[in-house]
Amino acid sequence: MYKFPEGLYSDVRIENVFKSDIVVTLGNLDNMKEQQYSAAFIRVFDGKRWYYSSTTDCKSIQQELDKLAQMAQYNSTIERNAVVEKFEVNTGTYLNFDGERDISNFSLDRKLELLRNYFPHLKNELIKFWRAQYIDQRVVKDFYSSKGASLTFDYQRVGFRLLYQMVHEQEQFMDRFDVAGNEISVLEGLSEEIDKRVASSEYFIRNATPVVPGNYTVVLSPEAAGVFAHESFGHKSEADFMLGDEMMMSEWKIGKKVGSDNLSIIDDGNLPGVGFVSFDDEGTRARETYLIKNGILAGRLHSAETAASLDEGLTGNARAVNFEYEPVVRMTATYITPGKLSFAELLSGIETGIYVDTLNHGSGMSTFTLAPNQAFMIRNGKIAEPVKIAVVSGSVFKTLGEIDATTKEFKMLSFALGGCGKMEQYPLPVSFGGPYVRVRSLNVQ
Amino acid sequence: MNREKYVTHYVENAVKIVQTEISSVRKKDIIKTSARLYDGVNMGVAGALGLCDEEALFERAKESLKLKISYPYAPADNLQREERFESDLQDESVLLEETADILERLREQQPKFSFSHIFKCSKLESSIENDFGLKLRSCRESISLSLVIKDKSSSNIIDAVTGYEGRKFSKKGFLDLTNMICDAFSNQINEFTDGTYPVVFSSDDVTYLKKFYETLHGMMFGSGSSLLSGKIGRQVFSPDFTLYQTRRAEDGFPGAFFDSEGTVNPDDRFALIEDGVLIAPYTDKKTSSTFKLPLTGAAGGEYDGLPELRLPLLKIKESEKTAKQLLNDRMGIFVLIASGGDFTPDGHFASPVQLAFLFDGERFVGRLPELSINSSLQEMFGRNFVGVSKNDFFGLENTKVAVMNMSVERLRK
Repeated sequence: MYKFPEGLYSDVRIENVFKSDIVVTLGNLDNMKEQQYSAAFIRVFDGKRWYYSSTTDCKSIQQELDKLAQMAQYNSTIERNAVVEKFEVNTGTYLNFDGERDISNFSLDRKLELLRNYFPHLKNELIKFWRAQYIDQRVVKDFYSSKGASLTFDYQRVGFRLLYQMVHEQEQFMDRFDVAGNEISVLEGLSEEIDKRVASSEYFIRNATPVVPGNYTVVLSPEAAGVFAHESFGHKSEADFMLGDEMMMSEWKIGKKVGSDNLSIIDDGNLPGVGFVSFDDEGTRARETYLIKNGILAGRLHSAETAASLDEGLTGNARAVNFEYEPVVRMTATYITPGKLSFAELLSGIETGIYVDTLNHGSGMSTFTLAPNQAFMIRNGKIAEPVKIAVVSGSVFKTLGEIDATTKEFKMLSFALGGCGKMEQYPLPVSFGGPYVRVRSLNVQ
Repeated sequence: MNREKYVTHYVENAVKIVQTEISSVRKKDIIKTSARLYDGVNMGVAGALGLCDEEALFERAKESLKLKISYPYAPADNLQREERFESDLQDESVLLEETADILERLREQQPKFSFSHIFKCSKLESSIENDFGLKLRSCRESISLSLVIKDKSSSNIIDAVTGYEGRKFSKKGFLDLTNMICDAFSNQINEFTDGTYPVVFSSDDVTYLKKFYETLHGMMFGSGSSLLSGKIGRQVFSPDFTLYQTRRAEDGFPGAFFDSEGTVNPDDRFALIEDGVLIAPYTDKKTSSTFKLPLTGAAGGEYDGLPELRLPLLKIKESEKTAKQLLNDRMGIFVLIASGGDFTPDGHFASPVQLAFLFDGERFVGRLPELSINSSLQEMFGRNFVGVSKNDFFGLENTKVAVMNMSVERLRK
């Protein structure tokens, strides 16, 4: 299909994109659109440096390849380069979302109708502002490489968010109901859940008081636990952060004990949800990767470059946020594995603690943070009054060792809007989740 | 039926850096065209990526009128203006050479650290024209140098950051700033007493400004859902505090002087809060019309959709004082990295500070232990607001600082 330049490794990723977007604010339709386009990202590697270009003119891909080749240095031994040797060579067509599952076959009217069905559930005297947004995206990717890869695979994300602001006397509270998955069926039949959510928001705004800052035993919901795993540990598992870094390599040595015995964290692009990535953007098949297994550091997330550099296996985690960018090591679906306790058993024995139910956001450096949306006191083993918390934080290394119990109840989450940010590439859809998790001590402000 | 066309053309050359070496070179050249049709009641829009057949695009826009998306607002009219802001580094081979030179100096001058991320030079051309005599064109070039700093003896992913964005390439200024950060990082200060301190932020750090994006959102404000709803005309903050919504190139705004509806402000900015008095939330035409609020020109949106209200660039008006004068002989706490903090619904603010430096008003003196900062929207911009400096760091553009008194304590983990 393409004449790949000699003495170099090259690959071409063509993205054939369909997407739709519907926005309604306070009952008024702001936007309703469908878009289709094809665009490409081209890479050339000479063994020392990568050269990248993106184009919206797919007829010019060969030209772009040739131009990039001019910038690179001919390398007669490129095929024996460790990075090049790592690349998988997959061929064939692997479509998971074609035919009846293809979201582009559903009309805009149908999508608007689905969204509109949920508007009556936002009729609440305290809701002064609301916005509903439906999004979907199907991307069929064609991947070709100078090693002979010739692969077609697809990705699909469908979801909606109901964002609302409640006002009660002097108090304001913003909350949202956000759900996504790979097919439109995931978005149907959610009225009861939405009612529950709105009711919980009303209860929160009417009753929440500022938390007394301090260190507490904290129970994280699956949402909070998933974000914790993603932010505090997931990013550290992205091997590009370790390249050439001897200190990080020795601190994060495979086999090192980093957490409690009951802690395991997995990343797996095969799981349904917005983190479902059957092949990554280097044409590598998705895999289940244990990052932590029973408290022991078990693995890392890789691109071909990082896998070659660290002499480890590929994991299918090289992803680009869209056609304008190169793939870098990213997570897919990251979760803490379930444990054995019931939720009630997890709470029992906590005299005074905090339950973090939903989040605004999280972040992870040496100190990780979670910014709760709805949170509650735990008193004498039971969920008690709601509290307003700005941020929960802790040391990543310490906290992994302070997880002392997890439930058998487990949930994976996917959201319609937002996503993971890494350097300039944001937002990348990822899934995350886990059981309910008890952490002995975290700082709460 | 009346036509309007909105086009952006973004060109970028980037050099990516990993572990203080050039790892890759990247080029981008992206054109986006938006064709709009007004019939006085609704708007139809179609968008295209890359070169396109404009007539075909307007035909698609005509089709999309059938969706009946209401847009009864008068289009911008009878205004022609063109601007061009050039940067002094746009050539890709020069960018590559200068990157290599900077990295070589950093390897020599700061061998204890490694540096990664990206240097870019870019150009954004935007234009909007319609059947009503509107013809606006903008071309803004910029340079962005951004590095993540890692102490080679640390097991963190990120230890510090450095960088600036502007139109003038200043290798010396960038190296001076980076060396100051690295030297101060290496000087660990362990003593710290909890208390109230002047806390210093980069003026474009969203950490401390983020609550305004919500409270001054025109739709939230107008529907009564904002902490500031109903307070137009009232003295809500310090008389020294003026907050602009800005599209000025001088303020570091990379886009055009006009918003996606063609609204242009005098001096390319709008004071949302002036001398502490609330003037208006940020609005687009729909928000302004719906809630009878002043139009501030904050429309954005995707190339293939109708204009919609988007977050603008917010800037605090600078004082007549340098950073040193604002500190008034006190040492300040410069917050370089405060990740994960937030405001509660009622405006209370708290954040861990992963990297803070002791700051004498001109230089970082040393690295403080990890801290926690607390305040509230009312206090940060009210009685505890000190000001924004008139001077930049090392002559680098857009590196002014904001100072406010806050409660600071050692972070408990």
